[in-house]
Amino acid sequence: MLAMAMWLGLVGTAVAAPDGVDVQLFTFRPATQDVKAGVDVTWTNRDDIEHTVTSGTPEARDGRFQSPLAGKGATATVRFKEPGVYPYFCERHPSMRGEIRVH
Amino acid sequence: MKRTLVVFLGAAAMTALLTTGCTAQMAGSPPAAMAASPATSNGKAAALRAGLNTLFQEHVYLASAATGAALGGREAEFKAAAGALDENSVAISNAIGSVYGADAEKAFLPLWRRHIGFVVDYTVGVATKDAGKQNKAVSDLVAYTNDFGAFLSAANPNLPKAVVADLVKHHVVTLKSVIDAQATGDAAKAYSAVRTAAGHMRMIADPLADAIVKQFPDKFAG
Repeated sequence: MLAMAMWLGLVGTAVAAPDGVDVQLFTFRPATQDVKAGVDVTWTNRDDIEHTVTSGTPEARDGRFQSPLAGKGATATVRFKEPGVYPYFCERHPSMRGEIRVH
Repeated sequence: MKRTLVVFLGAAAMTALLTTGCTAQMAGSPPAAMAASPATSNGKAAALRAGLNTLFQEHVYLASAATGAALGGREAEFKAAAGALDENSVAISNAIGSVYGADAEKAFLPLWRRHIGFVVDYTVGVATKDAGKQNKAVSDLVAYTNDFGAFLSAANPNLPKAVVADLVKHHVVTLKSVIDAQATGDAAKAYSAVRTAAGHMRMIADPLADAIVKQFPDKFAG
């Protein structure tokens, strides 16, 4: 959306990318990830439950990206082209929050 | 009156009632996958087991006190009970954090508080005779048991998700029985249900303690 072209996709297995975020024990790890513009960030679900990667905050969704992490081993990838700070959360567990800082 | 109850349940409860548990007496032994082991008979392990039992049973007693006060329209008592219940929630989260670290503690507390919110929803549904609200709350609570099972299973491979979820479902069922009995005004039935609900918490606390000791035998040796 907007100038931030992104690519969302679910991939089968769980090999975390160099700029990846693990979803483990109902926590995004690391909670804050610094990346360079144009890099793909991949979330890998290590929990045996569905989570989501939803951009914005529960109080203010921004609609930039939204992807389910359907269960253990599921992944989702987003390409961040534009510098900025991108908060996100899990729609099913709104206390789970993270942030991607694109430089 | 009903309106007042709903308002005070909805507001205060969401902040304080966050620790409700549900209970149900399970007549048998713990599931084989989580059966108690002799490992928890020594000092540190026994302390862990006793501590978890105390916290989880306290959870039931305080939750029952809160729902009873709410259904009885005793607002000040409800607020006090709900506040104590939340303190219990924090204590349970602290216990989780003492084993699995600060991040786990931080993640556990809102997860635990969430089921209290669903119990509040159910209690409001009972108070207002809103069957739809009651059913939605029960559905949310049942779904929650899978989240809770997933959390503990992720923390400890000795705790199968499905087994934990099933035990928590019994907790939900037994607490629901407490609330239903309280709503009828049958005090004897309500207190009997409270005892059943509190007694069931051993079925969660004991296997959790055993699994933790099994996971960290050095930490709980001696």
